[in-house]
Order: sequence, then C-alpha cells, then structure tokens
Amino acid sequence: MNSLKNQTAAADISSPYMSRLARIERASRLTKKERLFRIAIEDRKPLGHSPGQFIMLSIPGYGEAPISISSPPDRKSVFEICVRAVGNLTNALHNLTKGDRLWIRGPYGKAFPVENLNGKDLLFIAGGIGLVPMRSLIKAVLAERLLYGRIHLLYGVKSPDEILFKDELSQWGQTGNINVSITIDKPHPEWKGHTGVVTTLISPLKIDEAKTAAVVVGPPIMYKYVIMSLGDKRISGHDIYVSLERRMKCGLGKCGHCQINSVYVCQEGPVFRLSDIRYLREAI
Amino acid sequence: MEYRTLPKKRIASFVTGLLKEFKVYGPVKKDGFPMYGEITSPKDLYLLHTPTHLSPKQYLFPQKETLLRFKSGANPPPLSPSGGGQGEDIAPVVEAENQVLFGVHSCDIHALRLLDRVFAYGPPDANYLRRREKTAIIGVDCMPDKYCFCKSVNTTTADSGFDLFLHDIGSGFIVEIGTQKGKALLHKHTKSKKTTAKEIRKIVEFKNKKAELFVAKINAEASTLPLIYSGSYFSPVWEKIGKICYGCGSCNHVCPTCYCFDVRDEIKANLTEGERYRVWDACLLEDFAKVAGGHSFRKTRAERLRHRFNRKFQYQVDKFGGLFCVGCGRCIRTCLVNINIAEVTNELIEESNRRR
Repeated sequence: MNSLKNQTAAADISSPYMSRLARIERASRLTKKERLFRIAIEDRKPLGHSPGQFIMLSIPGYGEAPISISSPPDRKSVFEICVRAVGNLTNALHNLTKGDRLWIRGPYGKAFPVENLNGKDLLFIAGGIGLVPMRSLIKAVLAERLLYGRIHLLYGVKSPDEILFKDELSQWGQTGNINVSITIDKPHPEWKGHTGVVTTLISPLKIDEAKTAAVVVGPPIMYKYVIMSLGDKRISGHDIYVSLERRMKCGLGKCGHCQINSVYVCQEGPVFRLSDIRYLREAI
Repeated sequence: MEYRTLPKKRIASFVTGLLKEFKVYGPVKKDGFPMYGEITSPKDLYLLHTPTHLSPKQYLFPQKETLLRFKSGANPPPLSPSGGGQGEDIAPVVEAENQVLFGVHSCDIHALRLLDRVFAYGPPDANYLRRREKTAIIGVDCMPDKYCFCKSVNTTTADSGFDLFLHDIGSGFIVEIGTQKGKALLHKHTKSKKTTAKEIRKIVEFKNKKAELFVAKINAEASTLPLIYSGSYFSPVWEKIGKICYGCGSCNHVCPTCYCFDVRDEIKANLTEGERYRVWDACLLEDFAKVAGGHSFRKTRAERLRHRFNRKFQYQVDKFGGLFCVGCGRCIRTCLVNINIAEVTNELIEESNRRR
C-alpha cells in the first residue's frame, strides 16, 4: 500500500473514485440468475444509505457497476445487494463466496422520499429485479407500519422460478399486513396464481386516489403501461414515484452515460417524482 | 485591462524561459496540419493559424487517464475475485504537473471555462481540477477558416479564462494580462514594453478585419438557440442526418466541450497489478446508453445525433449556463459524411420560423 501511495501525485486531494474495502458475509442463491449478498464494510463505518440509493461496486480487474442497495436504511456497516449475473463484473461477483473481498463507494443518488409517503395508502408495483431496490423501501415502511394506510404490492415476473424473496413476500403478507399479489407473464404448468402483465393486477384494485401514493420500479418497458393504468385510477403524477435505470460509469454526474436530456440520473435520480419528469422527454 | 508589448523576436526567449519551468503545449505543424503538441523549442510553435484538429482539452482531460492503481497483496494468489483472502490494495491516482497551454484560441478558452464548471459540478473531480490549477493558459488571436462560426456563438474573443493573451500586430505581440499569475510569468521570463494607444488600435483593426472573413454562420441570435432546439425535438432533420451518419463518434472526439467518458479496468500481464482508468467515450456510439441486459435508451443514430446536438445547444445550457457549442467547426471538418452542425442548426431555425 505504501509503495502505491508514493505514486499518488497529490495525496492531499481526495479522489471521488477511491473505494472502501468490503467483505462478503453471506452469499445465497435466490434464483437461477440472481444471488443475494450480505456485505460488511471493513472499516465498520455505516454505509448510511436511504431506500432507493445505489453504490458503485467493483472487483479490481473486472470493473465497476452501479448496484441498488436492497437492505433497509438501518445505519449499519453491513448491507445487502441482490445481483443478476448479466455482465463481466456481475458474473465474477457470482463466483465470490463468504470472506471474499470487493470494493464499494457511495451511496449515491436521490432516495425515495419516505416522509412524503407517511399517512398514505401505498401501492408498490415491481417488475422483475425492480423488487430489489423496492425491498429497501418496503422494509423501512414495515418498520413503521402504523404510519401508513393500506399497502398493496403488485409484483410481476416472467415465470415462477424468477420470483425473488419468496419467503419474505409471504411474510410481508402475513405479518406485515401487506396485500401481496404476484403475476407471471405467461401461463406456466407449475403456476396456479394470476397470469398476465403487471397492469392486469392494477385494474381490479379498489383505490382511494386522494390518499394513495404509488412506487414503480421495473424494466424500462414497464413504466409507460403502469403509468397509464395508474392514470386510469386517477392517481396524480405528484403521488407517483419511479426509479429509473440507466447506464452509469462514474456515479458522480460527469461521465454522461445516465443523462436524460438535461438531467443526470445519478445525481437528480434514480428516484423521481413522476410529475417532475412529465416533460422530460426520453425519461419514460 | 492591462497590456504590454512584446517585440516579435522576444517571443522565442519567452517560450525558452517557460520551458525551463513547465511542460509547454501549443499549436505545431505536423504533416502539414495544425495540431496541438508538446513544444520543446520556440521553433516548434506555429502561431496565428486556423483551428487545430484536436482541441487542447486533452491536456486537462486526457484521452486516457488512470484513476486508481491496484496491486495484489501477496505473491500468488493473483488479482482474482477469490483472492484467497489476501486480496488487493487500491490507491487513488491524481496526476498533475505544471504546464502551459500556449496559443489557445478564444473558442477553446470558452470551452475550457465550460469544462471547469462541468468538473466542479457535484462531487468535484480531483483529477481535472488539480491539473487545471497547475495550468497556465496563454491565448492567441487566430484566423477563421470556412468552417469557423465562433462569431455566431459569441466566442470570437475571450475577456477572461486566460492568464495571458497574445495579439499579433505585425511588428510584435500585444500581451493582454488576464491574471496576476500570467503577469508574473511575463515579467519573469521576458522583457516587455509599455503598450501605446496606437498599438491598441491595431487590435481593433485586426478584430474588424477578422469579422469580415467568416463564411459559416448561424442565422439566429445565439441566445435564441436553446428555445429553437427545444421546439425541434420532432423535426424531420434528425431522421435525415441519422440516415447518413456512420455513428463513428469522431465529432465527440474532436469537440472541445465533449467530456463523456467510460471507466474501465486493466490488468498487467503479471496478473498482480492493474489500474482503473477513464477514457473518452462518445454518445454517438451504439453502446453508449445501453444498460446491462441490452436495453438501449437511444437505439437509432437519429436519436443519438439529436442528443449530441441538444447537449450543445440546450441540455448542458440548462445545466451549466452558456452554449456548449463554441463554433470551432471541428466536428464539421472531421465528419466523414459532411454533417454540418451550423447548417443543421440553420435548418432547425428555418423550420422554427415557418412554425411561427
């Protein structure tokens, strides 16, 4: 480490790219493609995140990527991420086990404004791995369940074997007083539940539009249709929150990859109030 | 405004003096083309010229720049995800040395001022800002070629953003003092004379003469361009130029205000050392806005061109203030299919006028 430090021309300036060492405490398989990692930061200082924020995670030599934080904002130095193996870094990450090292920086981005949700009926709508960042918010809400009215979670996945956090979903339903509805896109021999895209779960719902806030996280294609359905339910764009996925390389509002018109998603998002981005072309 | 006069023959001794203290980069002639390069002797300098192919942004924001270095903790295991618990150490790298950018044109001075804002936005960028702090900028008057349109975007002259600015008046240079740092450099490395009113008039004469030489122009006030672009989102122009664009990203590469980058890792052949670096990226390239899983947010070249042009005339203007097109004409000169940002803008202006 010392020899490396000597190569640093200006040791007194802190590089925003410097990361913190962390270790995997537990790695478990959730589905064929997704694994859940419990990660402990080596310096024991809290991550200090809020629901909806992300970290930049790296394995030296394999690269760096933005990853949503999936655990509640409990001010600990241990946190959870759920990662789909889809690229170079995430495939390498899937090969790691307990005790292995990785590097993180962050948290970054704007979080879900939990204070705006207090006293409201909540409608959580997740598609696929959109449930990952939403889980952080759901757990925060459950910790103070009495502050909220009725809660629905509508969760759409492609097939039954892609359902994430199965045990937690039923737990949220039983002890958390959340109405959990799951749908799969196409009929499947092993699936006895609801079939169809996630919007088909919205139309039958009885919603008090005056006191409902909706939180939507899913693949890019999902937003347009879910937002149309929420419009049918007369939920105002002021009460709809979305988390937008974009390519990110720096997380610092510089590299340009996450830019939507004049907005840097890593700085002004990823969580947006829908009414704030209504006129932001290319957002939804 | 403070001026000093430098006889032509003294410019060489001034540069020689600077070379003792700094790395000096300036316009040079290479293979018959004006380029930016390292100056090792005053003879290398090629002042008062038309624009260079690449902008001087490369000396503040290098095409490739190391951000972190990493090293495996012990002899085997090598750098690998399961590094056996020994693992690796990483350390930040912020490299900057004292340097002079000699002979920077007004358009590029404006561009660097915009980059200053960009890299200070959000969490400050240590690498750029540290280097910027150690850089002296000496500007010089230039002559437009047929692609320059700085006059249309108000960057023909710069009243700040430089330490010194050289105006060629034939017999010598009038040196405009921009900062105390610049003044100190001038006094330290050469002898200059008091500038006379007659000499100052020559700067005005040169400006007037230069103003008549522009061929390319934008047919609307610069301040109206963000609004014109905002109204042109659905213009057929994007599809038209998208059809001929190769999506090669050359325009991004040569643009003095394009600053997007990719961050990548590289491991040395010994497998125990490596680095994380950033490298210029281009929003015209197909993968630029593609996320893991394959969804691209700007699939077509038309969409990517629209994004780039709007960054110059609307998006970044909203964010940082000031047009991000400085009229240098580099993207026009370099485009393989002759997409001309001034002409495209004029088409949008015409459409906008018709809508009124």
